[in-house]
Amino acid sequence: MPGAALLHRPGASELRWAAVVLAAFGSLALLPLVVRRDDVLNFGVVFFLSVTLAQSWNLMAGYAGQVNLGHAAFFGLGALVTRALWIQGAPILPAMGVGAVVATVFGWLVGLPAFRLRGAYFAIGTLALAEILRITVGNSLPEISTLPAATIAGYSLTRRFYLTLVLAALAVATVAGTAASRVGLGMRAIREDEAAAEASGVGALRHKLLALSLSTLLAGLAGGAFAYYHISYYPQHPFGPQWTFDALLITFIGGAGTLHGPVLGALFYVFLKEYLAIRWVDLHLLIFGVLFVAIVLLLPGGLVEVFGRVRGRPRLTNP
Amino acid sequence: MLDVRDVRAGYGDVQVLFGVSVAVAAGEIVALVGPNGAGKTTLLRAIVGLLPLRRGSVSWEGRPIHAAPAHSIVEQGIALVPEGRRLFARMTLEENLLLGAFAPRALGGRREGLERVFEIFPRLAERRRQLAGSLSGGEQQMVAIGRALMSRPRLLLLDEPSLGLAPRVVEGILEVLRQIHRDGVGVFLVEQNVQASLALADRGYVLENGRISGAGSGHDLLRDPHVRQAYLGPLAMDR
Repeated sequence: MPGAALLHRPGASELRWAAVVLAAFGSLALLPLVVRRDDVLNFGVVFFLSVTLAQSWNLMAGYAGQVNLGHAAFFGLGALVTRALWIQGAPILPAMGVGAVVATVFGWLVGLPAFRLRGAYFAIGTLALAEILRITVGNSLPEISTLPAATIAGYSLTRRFYLTLVLAALAVATVAGTAASRVGLGMRAIREDEAAAEASGVGALRHKLLALSLSTLLAGLAGGAFAYYHISYYPQHPFGPQWTFDALLITFIGGAGTLHGPVLGALFYVFLKEYLAIRWVDLHLLIFGVLFVAIVLLLPGGLVEVFGRVRGRPRLTNP
Repeated sequence: MLDVRDVRAGYGDVQVLFGVSVAVAAGEIVALVGPNGAGKTTLLRAIVGLLPLRRGSVSWEGRPIHAAPAHSIVEQGIALVPEGRRLFARMTLEENLLLGAFAPRALGGRREGLERVFEIFPRLAERRRQLAGSLSGGEQQMVAIGRALMSRPRLLLLDEPSLGLAPRVVEGILEVLRQIHRDGVGVFLVEQNVQASLALADRGYVLENGRISGAGSGHDLLRDPHVRQAYLGPLAMDR
């Protein structure tokens, strides 16, 4: 049986793919040394941010089976807090750390009550949180946030490139490490059948909260990197639902519940979106929507199904 | 060992159990039989903490366990083989078994546990890397039993393990239960296969409409006119 040897132990496939992806990221680290074009580096930043955000969503939905429809809330909170601290003079990395912790605390506010109930409560709770935050931030901070002139003068795109690269690598390593661990096994069992998992001794609440914490930490860090990267934007922008759906679409296009899926998905998604946006300015979202439907219909397991060797890997057909 | 007293439980407005008391002593095989909808599965769910009690108590070695969360029950040494197997379909057979050893009491003995399960069910060894959802019904039932055994239980609860299986497979499963029993594990078997389960059991209970309507040794229950009439029918005369 081909592919049988792939799975010597839980998470073996993830660890193998993580090595491949991290090696690829490692070689991408040389990019700023050979290419001095800003558009290439900007593309890299968007790609790495997408990988981070998609992996953080994937950990929750693809592994623990909890669909978060308000992931933008955590991305937005990370961006909001990081931007405020950083502009006031805090170093960027501690500022991002604080932003990520704030995002996680908000995650618990939804997760603690919602996880005690089964069903759609978590999806609806996160969706509501994101919209409430977006509207509140829009009302209380209506002005565009622009970096001070001195910061713009010293702006280094290369630095953003490396920051987001490290972040994406961290997200990949987190998902792989989780998948290969005992808690990862428990999370996947919850995704498959929560009552049966409980009856096997898996504490569902604890595992779901752990997945949520890792997921919101990564999303908050991604938001912080966004705040560090963009020169000016409306504070409510990173709370917009498109960030949630970017993460969701990338994960499903690539393959939910796999490690390499969201990486492939991000590459495909970011390329295609940019290309379509340049080629067909007015119609690009429509074309994109059709393509997404086609992929879901033809490859329900995502792009990773094309590899053929993925048999034996779980896929999320009914979240 | 297990002492269930006057348990009342249900779902929403529907009460299913109206004061059920059963007991399983150490190393005993006890069968619970009864028609569809009598509350057999509900009773098992109540015992393992998946369903809160409205009244009554579940005690294990003299200590009440009905307030404990479901995932802590298996740590106490009680394992459930749920109705319809309830495997983790998109995980491999081996991962399903490893999840059976998720509780701290079993974690250290995972490797020996796997070997033991593959010894009992040799067919599973060659399919260890297959997705559980792709296995046949009989194989899935073996995995479900194996998963429960991985937790090194002192009491095994089984919910309709013969459901939907070919008679030859059922015979194999019953033989395995005898073997597990010989290893000193208590067995509480919930079955619609009345003849086979009462023949196997030391003692039996009959559950009807959420109440225990009969109890006794497996042998006596099999000769009980009511049980014969309701569950065994005219065919039973031939046996």
